[in-house]
Amino acid sequence: MIELNNIIKKYEINKNNTLTALDGINLSIKEGELVVLKGASGSGKSTILSLIAALSKPTSGEVVVDDKRVSKLPENFASDFRRDNIGFIFQKYNLINTLSVKDNVLLPLVPMNLHVDVLEDKLKRVLEMFHIKHKEDAIVKNLSGGEQQRVAIARANINDPKIILADEPTANLDEKLSFSFIEILKELKRRGKTVIVATHDPLFFNLDIVDKVVEIHQGVIS
Amino acid sequence: MRDRVNVYLIEYAINSLLRQKYKSLFITIILTALVFLLTSMFFITNSIKYELQSTVDALPEIVVQKMKAGRHYDIDVDSVDNILEITGVTGAVARVWGYYYFENAGVNFSIVGIDEYEDQYKSSLTNAANNLDFSSSSMIVGEGVKKSMQNSYYKEYFNFIKPDGSLKKVTIGGVFNTDTELESNDIIVMSKDSVREIFDMSADKATDIVVKVSNVDEIQTIATKIKLLYPDCRVITKDDLKISYQNIFDYKSGVFLALFIVSLFTFFIIIYDKVSGLSSEEKREIGILKAIGWRVDDVLKEKFYEGFIVSFFAYLLGSFLSFAFVYIFNAPLLQNIFTGYSELKTSFSLPFVFDFQTMALVFFLSVPIYIAATIIPSWKAATLEADEVMR
Ligand SMILES: Nc1ncnc2c1ncn2[C@@H]1O[C@H](COP(=O)(O)OP(=O)(O)OP(=O)(O)O)[C@@H](O)[C@H]1O
Ligand SMILES: [Mg+2]
Repeated sequence: MIELNNIIKKYEINKNNTLTALDGINLSIKEGELVVLKGASGSGKSTILSLIAALSKPTSGEVVVDDKRVSKLPENFASDFRRDNIGFIFQKYNLINTLSVKDNVLLPLVPMNLHVDVLEDKLKRVLEMFHIKHKEDAIVKNLSGGEQQRVAIARANINDPKIILADEPTANLDEKLSFSFIEILKELKRRGKTVIVATHDPLFFNLDIVDKVVEIHQGVIS
Repeated sequence: MRDRVNVYLIEYAINSLLRQKYKSLFITIILTALVFLLTSMFFITNSIKYELQSTVDALPEIVVQKMKAGRHYDIDVDSVDNILEITGVTGAVARVWGYYYFENAGVNFSIVGIDEYEDQYKSSLTNAANNLDFSSSSMIVGEGVKKSMQNSYYKEYFNFIKPDGSLKKVTIGGVFNTDTELESNDIIVMSKDSVREIFDMSADKATDIVVKVSNVDEIQTIATKIKLLYPDCRVITKDDLKISYQNIFDYKSGVFLALFIVSLFTFFIIIYDKVSGLSSEEKREIGILKAIGWRVDDVLKEKFYEGFIVSFFAYLLGSFLSFAFVYIFNAPLLQNIFTGYSELKTSFSLPFVFDFQTMALVFFLSVPIYIAATIIPSWKAATLEADEVMR
């Protein structure tokens, strides 16, 4: 269960000007739902995802995930929360380009100091699930856009989080790859994950796996 | 699980250094060079200080020189008896010595004369006296002298040119050894008669007189008494000599101090450069790590390992190189700053003085400062909102 209550998010542009990215968002997403956040560029979709992932804090209002007020979490608890509950597929993937696929995918687990067998298991599972096992040792910057996205998805799933957030997942993909991303969404939904996709790609608006389409317009749900 | 040392984090740090291999290599080289320079400077100054202290300790308490027209002149050997009568004086020896210019090498040797049955004014000379063959004209030479002579193909004997132009052949009977090489390096020891012959000095004259005093507190009073007895003499005490030695050394330490400041300065420029900011690539990486669930302290630990690996490696390598440079290769180039005591420019080996304080000082000047310089900017980036950093 994810709840956003009266969220206002303002950014300071300079000393005298602030920009209101979100202006009173109320949103409730049930466990296992697939929700699409729709809206033009600059409407505030990415900002909502950041707030849910505790990557930033709202100016006012609160974000509650499974009865936990994540918008009030101190730094280190926010990190733990992300590690254990959130898989974020960033628009620009945010991979470390000079590292191998394997190292990128395992990165979230590095601070946990797990046994090497556990790591191997987890790695194998996600690499196979997202069809990137054959590129395990390749350096990320040498991969195609579609492959890089699958690495990003594998990384988001390495810790088996309950919530998957995807920001403009089809922005850099051709039609064929976009359809295979939708297959991946189906798989995630089948596994009971709560998925939130921020996009302005019409491909997502009429899918039968989508439970809810939320339209955002200049920081307000319309 | 979190308490155990996290090898993955260390692995990540190493990997991270390797990924920026040119930058890491550059920093390692600079740090190594700085550690090397600092440690070498400390090693050399320590050794020289030690050497100097030993030299000063071995100096005679009072030296009496006869002066004429403002210049040092030969003194009457008879004066020894009069000086011995002064209460508090336990010994007085007329020394016969001088400098001999060796043209082939362009250096000056110090020739020191000794008598077989005389109490030597220095223990090192007693040693030489025991090894010297007084029955023939023979000499004991310092390491440096031996090398210079060998370089000019004088392996068994040497022909000294007397003031009248005739030659005096003296065989090399042995090598002079003392614990302070700085002192013995350019010295030649032979019988007083031989020295007088080479310098054309009559038997009733000596170069100067050294006086032994039983009580150090009396040195000054006795010096005054000698001065009253021989107004035409200059009376030099150990303290006077100490000061002039110290002056030479202080001046040379100053040269080192300058080097030291220059190297520290370079170091702080690097530090400043690091602290003043991370590249956008480095910032982005920290943002990513935070976004996927790393804590601030995980990021800082990783950066700590990075800084530690580089600086500690540089510290070990730099110290090792400097150790080899100073004590095995005898500090070529740098050492020359210190060998101006005589004109002799042959090498002497620096005495090994291992000093834990030096090692600790260099460590604290390099490793923690560098680590801090690595961590601080990362800490700044890691405590910002991850969202902000990735943008
Ligand atoms: N860190 C920031 N500092 C200043 N302004 C920001 C910041 N982050 C977002 N904004 C502004 O907030 C508004 C909403 O941004 P957001 O990224 O959420 O939009 P979006 O709907 O994801 O757009 P897009 O479809 O282009 O990704 C925009 O006007 C953006 O310029
Ligand atoms: Mg966006």
